[in-house]
Amino acid sequence: MIAYDYHQPGSLEEAFLLNKDHPGSLYISGGTDLMVRIHKKELQPHDLISLRSIPGLSGTDNGKSVRIGAMTTVSELTKNSLLQERYPALIQAANNLGSVQIRNVATIGGNLCNGSPAADLALPLLVLAAKVRVQNSQTIRELPLDKFFRGPGETDLSPGEILTDILLEAPEKNTKSIFLKRGRTKMDLALASAAVLITTDGSRCSEARVAVGSVAPTPVRLSIVEEILIGAALSRGLMDEAQKRTAETVSPISDVRSTADYRRHLAGVLVRRALELLTHDQFGDRYRI
Amino acid sequence: MKKKISLTLNGSRIEVTADSQQSLLDLLRGPLHMTGTKEGCGEGECGACTVLVDGLAVNSCLYPACEAQGKDILTIEGMADINNQLSLIQQAFVDSGAIQCGFCTPGMVLSAKALLDSHPDPSDTDIREALSGNLCRCTGYVQIVEAVKKAANRLRERS
Amino acid sequence: MKDFFYIGKDTLRPDGPDKAAGKAHYIHDLQRPGMLYGKIKFSEHAHARIKHIDTSKAERIPGVRTIITAKNTPEIRFGFLRDNLALKLDKVRQYRDEVAAVAAIDPEIAEEAVDTIRIEYEPLPGVFSPEQAMKEGAPLVHETDPRGKPRNHNILPLKYHHESGNLETGKREAKHVAEGTFSTPLVQQCCMGTAGCIAEFDMNSNLTLWSKTQIPFLAQRDFNQALSAMGLKGKNTRIIVPALGGGFGSGLDTHAYEYIAILLAFQTGHPVKIVYNRREEFTNLSPRQSTQTRIVQGCDPNGRLSFRQIDVLQDNGAYTSWGATYPSVMMMPATSLYRVPHITFDAKLVYTNNTYCQAMRGYGNPELTWALESNMDELAEKAGIDPFEFRMLNRIEAGETTPMGLKISTCGLERCLETVAGKLDWKGGTKKGKNRGIGMASLIHVGGGGRIYRSDASGIILKLDDFGNVNVFYGGVEMGQGLHAVLIQSVAEALGVRPDTVFINPTDTGTCPWDVGTHASRGAFMAGNAAILAARKLRNNIFELAEELFPAEAKKNLKKHMAKYPDYTPPDFDIAKAAKRDRFDLKEGYIFITGSPDAPWLRMDLGKLLRAAHFRPQGQMLTAEAFYDPPNELPDFEKGFGNISSTYAFGTQGVEVEVDTETGEIKIIRMVAAHDVGKVLNPLGLKGQIYGALAQGVGYALYEELKSDKGKIQNPDFRDYKIPRTQEMNFPIDLTFIETNDSFGPFGAKGVAEPGLVPTAPAIANAIYNAVGVRIRDLPITPEKILAAVKEQKNLKKP
Repeated sequence: MIAYDYHQPGSLEEAFLLNKDHPGSLYISGGTDLMVRIHKKELQPHDLISLRSIPGLSGTDNGKSVRIGAMTTVSELTKNSLLQERYPALIQAANNLGSVQIRNVATIGGNLCNGSPAADLALPLLVLAAKVRVQNSQTIRELPLDKFFRGPGETDLSPGEILTDILLEAPEKNTKSIFLKRGRTKMDLALASAAVLITTDGSRCSEARVAVGSVAPTPVRLSIVEEILIGAALSRGLMDEAQKRTAETVSPISDVRSTADYRRHLAGVLVRRALELLTHDQFGDRYRI
Repeated sequence: MKKKISLTLNGSRIEVTADSQQSLLDLLRGPLHMTGTKEGCGEGECGACTVLVDGLAVNSCLYPACEAQGKDILTIEGMADINNQLSLIQQAFVDSGAIQCGFCTPGMVLSAKALLDSHPDPSDTDIREALSGNLCRCTGYVQIVEAVKKAANRLRERS
Repeated sequence: MKDFFYIGKDTLRPDGPDKAAGKAHYIHDLQRPGMLYGKIKFSEHAHARIKHIDTSKAERIPGVRTIITAKNTPEIRFGFLRDNLALKLDKVRQYRDEVAAVAAIDPEIAEEAVDTIRIEYEPLPGVFSPEQAMKEGAPLVHETDPRGKPRNHNILPLKYHHESGNLETGKREAKHVAEGTFSTPLVQQCCMGTAGCIAEFDMNSNLTLWSKTQIPFLAQRDFNQALSAMGLKGKNTRIIVPALGGGFGSGLDTHAYEYIAILLAFQTGHPVKIVYNRREEFTNLSPRQSTQTRIVQGCDPNGRLSFRQIDVLQDNGAYTSWGATYPSVMMMPATSLYRVPHITFDAKLVYTNNTYCQAMRGYGNPELTWALESNMDELAEKAGIDPFEFRMLNRIEAGETTPMGLKISTCGLERCLETVAGKLDWKGGTKKGKNRGIGMASLIHVGGGGRIYRSDASGIILKLDDFGNVNVFYGGVEMGQGLHAVLIQSVAEALGVRPDTVFINPTDTGTCPWDVGTHASRGAFMAGNAAILAARKLRNNIFELAEELFPAEAKKNLKKHMAKYPDYTPPDFDIAKAAKRDRFDLKEGYIFITGSPDAPWLRMDLGKLLRAAHFRPQGQMLTAEAFYDPPNELPDFEKGFGNISSTYAFGTQGVEVEVDTETGEIKIIRMVAAHDVGKVLNPLGLKGQIYGALAQGVGYALYEELKSDKGKIQNPDFRDYKIPRTQEMNFPIDLTFIETNDSFGPFGAKGVAEPGLVPTAPAIANAIYNAVGVRIRDLPITPEKILAAVKEQKNLKKP
């Protein structure tokens, strides 16, 4: 392992400067992904720039809109009662991310910046129409999360940029959201995962958002599934169609963990079950999450 | 790059020099000569390296040593009393047959402590969830869960 | 039934407190003065000629003390077929071949040095399955045998064959036949404490090796042979075994990394430590043997088994270790699990460029029982008989000698089967609900040692000190299984002293008597029997001394007692007459005359007696030894006959599962296990062994597979090699221990360490079949396989 220098800047400005002065340096937040990749020699940086000592990057601002600091740990998310109430899918994803030891250190920003198609927190944030705030020494910009993911391990971050905040709007009335995930064992990277949000107006969906993970180059929203749900009454037939469309649309790969065929099928099943669970008054509480 | 860091370790304030690429685990087992915390995988999967940082269980193999600056760290060496008495949690592990090869035990004990500090009356589900980051190949976990339950009961009785 | 003082009672393990405090010292924690760190350069190809090794860059790194290859070290051949080399010279035959090694002042420098070693290879075509390796014109993994004689094929010269009755007759008599081919994958032991050793020479060129081994004495022999090869003939190896972070069979052979540590230590004149990190452990340590078994069984119209035909094919990998001897253990269930008059068993082993394999818990029995017990359910269905009834009908019983010559002294199989059926509320094939099902499987395993070597013995020394403490020297290995606790119980019970006065010394070939190794679930059986023999001798010696010294001591005590209590009237008892060696007894550390009145002055503390014997002219101290070699036989594996163990363990396990037919996931609702253990020695420890084995069985059945692609391990970490965590074992487990009180076992006990995972996988597979009617024959039973099978079943049902 190549020896690297570990910098602990006390401000964003300092971090940007260190990054500029050390080409090839990497920002590190919780480190639960980065440290593993360095251990495996997949990455061999000469410098790590820690974001942990920069004030203002963690915690939440509660209001009609919610700002979550990127350095907020996954554990901290799960203990936040406002988030629990408003964004249950996010909390479900947070509770199922890794182990207690990982959650105490991993951050919401780190999970997104890793750019993994399996990023657990990405899915609920996508269906919650989250935005992210990104900064460098010159500019601050905001972009919708669904524009943030570019490819496996690739995000929209330019060199030097730091993701500082995740921004969420208050959900509409009669909105429910859910996150489902399956691995080879309970604690695992998702073989497939799904997050679904629906807003009901009477018996019809006024809004439906569906996101799937581990079955495409990035976490993705499935507009082709959403379009049949929006404005419709959720019937058994419609949910089956949602499953079918999901399976047809996704593009999983086969790897050491599972096969493309299985993931494709599983993604469809999870989307359908998510819809059933969100309307469980009608269909009965049949499945565990 | 070397950094001098000061931290509280098992209740005592210490100063130690860390290499920038060292993990907290490296620091504990190396210059601090504390071999109770184990390396089982080095990649945050097995939990054998679990220590408490400011009361929270973390995998010390992934925790940069430099970040220990100013923190309050508890390792397995800090669990026993000064009179060489095992803590209640450790004694519960011994009494329940929860220890076989013992390699996972320090990590399990620390994870159990983190749980019981915040959940004095945990359910079996709570216990299994809290220990899901700690792998054991010997015990099948049954007697470990029993040990944590026993420790919880004894701690409540004592207080 | 005899009432025991300590046997059968929960006993806390003596090393528990230290382990709980993080004070047990594993190989990873040990340091020696001047110690260097070794690191190995492994091959980058599955099959290639080594053209050139360039170590020049590595040599220039400050802190590197030496770099070795096969070119600058003497050749060391090892493995029971002598087909392996510590460092590879002309070619590499698998990805994990050791080509070079470095010793440096710290592990980071050693790793950096290894990374800079450049090796030029000429890749060769490889063979990655037995079928490939057996094809005409297939590349040879070994061009010559260990003696240099040319080879012209890849099949190993090991013959395993059993034949009893007449297979054709059996086939003719069969009304119903079921046939299937079953496979088991590579599985890793996954000890939480990885492999490693420290090698250190003294200035007389004698070697000490601290090692993660289960075979200290066989290792001593292997390393003495290595010393000979190094020009140190006549020099000796001393093996010291520290706390082990698990074993599960991974320490039953000697490994290249140990020989390499020895070579590095000799070259540098410093102690050298080599420890595998987790990736190295997954990639470079020999795993559980993978197998393919074709089984055909038939039964008569009444359901009695008439024949069994088994053919096993094994991918031996590039070199030979204990994986190649699994068929010797497979023969046991093949011939003796249930009563079958006509049997053939054959095994073929083929060299490939995949990883070679070693022992792992069960050692071939889980592999064969997977096929056998799955096929039993298939045959039961063909015959229209309930699977439980089918097993009961064909069960073996105590007093039988099986076709392999196994003498069944005690057999709890019937009670095990009935217990499991009862607890599962078994009602002949009735499913428990939609997609829910129950299944069962049984086992036979060695329970009284396992003679697979010229000696199956264990020696013990009991040394008494001046305080009445017993110092025990025993050469078996405590790897977590709880051997030391039962050894303390056995010594305490057999001798008549309290357990807290019994101390077990570290396992050290320099001090302990010979022991063949801790495997085959033999630890407690051997240790207990050896302890009983030695204790008997020691008691005789103690009572001899008592005859001499007790009367005077008692008189002294009485005087003191009467001085304290002047009104005391001593009972009428002629001590001098009664104090004969055959009338003494020793209980809880006190010597007394049997039948004597209950008075404190008529009891003598053992320590007092020993001091009286020691501190006098021509004084003496007591030490006793015993060497226990059980009454079993080394079978002839080419004939398939021999009573390999002195007694046999039996058990049945049952499972209730729920199958999610949409995702293929299996949920275990509950497990039931009934094990014939002979006698429960330490309930607390025994439960731990069975629970732990069940977890390994669940992993084997549902999750575990080391994936190899053209010889390269694809999932060398815990992220992608899944072993059960707390949530995967989150279901009720009901344990019943059947005591058959075997006369060969210490206090009636049989070995229990392995049986707990032998029938688990087929029990689960049988439950899945009961639930949804799909039969998976290739482990692990993954959701992908279930889903594919469910889909196929649906397609077959379509009109």
